[in-house]
Amino acid sequence: MSFARPARCVFCSFSRAATQSTRVPRRQFHPSLPQFNDRPKPDVPVIKAFGKSAKSSAKATDFKPYTEEEKAYLAKEYSAAQLEAVEAGEAAIDPKDLAKQLNERDDPLKLNYVDDFSVIEPGIDRHVRSPQSNSDYNFKFKSEDDFVQDFGRFFAELPDDATGADFAKFADELRLTHGKEENELNSHSALVPDLFGPGETLDEPRAEERKTAAEKGEKERSLEAEEMTDALRSLLLATGYTADQVRDFRLKTLVSHSVVNQTRLGKVRRAYRLSIAGNGNGLLGIGEGKSEEASDAKTQSQYRAIRNMQPVPRYENRTIFGDVTGKVGAVSLQLMHRPPGFGLRVQHLIYEMCRAAGIHDLAARVSRSRNKMNTVKAAYEALMSQRDPEEIARARGRKMVDVRKVYYAGKV
Amino acid sequence: MSLVNLAAVCSHLNNATKARLGLTSIPNSNLHLKLCQALQNSGYISSVVRGGPTPPPMHPILGYPTANDEIEGVEPITRDNVASRRLWLGLKYWQNESVLGKVQMVSKPTRRINLNVEELRRVVRGHEANHVDGLRSPGESLYLSTDRGVLEARECVEKKLGGLVLCRVL
Repeated sequence: MSFARPARCVFCSFSRAATQSTRVPRRQFHPSLPQFNDRPKPDVPVIKAFGKSAKSSAKATDFKPYTEEEKAYLAKEYSAAQLEAVEAGEAAIDPKDLAKQLNERDDPLKLNYVDDFSVIEPGIDRHVRSPQSNSDYNFKFKSEDDFVQDFGRFFAELPDDATGADFAKFADELRLTHGKEENELNSHSALVPDLFGPGETLDEPRAEERKTAAEKGEKERSLEAEEMTDALRSLLLATGYTADQVRDFRLKTLVSHSVVNQTRLGKVRRAYRLSIAGNGNGLLGIGEGKSEEASDAKTQSQYRAIRNMQPVPRYENRTIFGDVTGKVGAVSLQLMHRPPGFGLRVQHLIYEMCRAAGIHDLAARVSRSRNKMNTVKAAYEALMSQRDPEEIARARGRKMVDVRKVYYAGKV
Repeated sequence: MSLVNLAAVCSHLNNATKARLGLTSIPNSNLHLKLCQALQNSGYISSVVRGGPTPPPMHPILGYPTANDEIEGVEPITRDNVASRRLWLGLKYWQNESVLGKVQMVSKPTRRINLNVEELRRVVRGHEANHVDGLRSPGESLYLSTDRGVLEARECVEKKLGGLVLCRVL
């Protein structure tokens, strides 16, 4: 049973660490014994005494009788009878036995750290509680008369220039029980005391930080109130995003020109805008807007882009799965995955789309026409047409293994 | 080894998957049979059964004809019926998409392309070699005719075999 052994790569047997035991000293958290032996178990169980195999670090010659100086020093500490007992005890032990016994433990139950256990570490060894001698089982609560007496004494001893601090001090020191003082103030308890004092936590932000955060919130709220329009409100309602999230999206208007509708009244010009929206982390959408007002068309297209945001499959959150093609109108383009650090070597429209979607390594080739609007649409189509390897594996009923993930854990 | 007939098979498979057919047939030949078995090994098609001009009977449980059907059996090839034999292929679909994507000839009847192991290694890693584009998309396969039958490009690299490139399946 060697559950404690780490799972090792089959290919890594040559580069195995020289020592089988853990190199970092740490507490043993699990009750089962760690087994650091990779050799197959022998058929006959080997019973060996603890420490038998360990090399003794001491020799018999290391243990010498006390010198005269040492005896003089001991005489200061001990009485003559005690010294006699110490010497008798020393003489009773053979130095050979002492050398044999004094070695480092080698057994599975040994501790992974060096300690002589002379100090109790609170929280590690055990919780420090107040001593049991603090308890007083015969304490009695003070009666009303006692309290009246205490108050009377307080007022009698009150100095002429009394302040509120005097009363606070009195209230702090006022005892409620008769009996041992420690029983009331620092009594022994079987319950585990907290590691933190009152009001202390590990992760509570400091008061200043909290204050600035609150102020920030107020500012944002006031900004929201100014900017909130009907269109934005309906967008928030439809998408479920908050105003903060919408502000943080990466919005970019990529195509802007005017379009003309020929009616019997004449040509009606309107502004056309095509925008993209992304969160920089795998979401991308495109939206088109048309209006008499250019700014109106822009916000319209941006809000539509946010509504249209969809997840773009990304390999390792940096590039795409395989090479994909897209075709809209006369624009046909090809997006090609690239290794880490390649960068975005694509034309400006696709570059902005990649930035918004959070793709960092990509190459693209736009062939035939290079119409801006259709390029954006074709690139979106291509990005969305990626095939998920998991789905391919399910469809074909075959395992597909990402070798990069297996051998390098995606770290190359 | 007629690449003309193989090209016809590739086109026919593309047409059949676009038409969402569950079962289709191609002319019988050893090359076609080996290629279809390679496709089946890769999981692109569900079954390959040699039959006559009419589709072989369906397996009662699986719902498509199988070569090891114990009840119906497969008619053995004789000198009389060999000309009328066809290969019946079960096509697969997953989530409204055909599992067998686009099947494209790489070698052409007028221009056969052979790849040796070194070139195949480049192709499998996604690079171009000998005017054959690399396998750059997930689930893309390339089939070669080698000394040991029709094999996938990665198998060929594993076994250190080169051969005639037949077709690419995406």
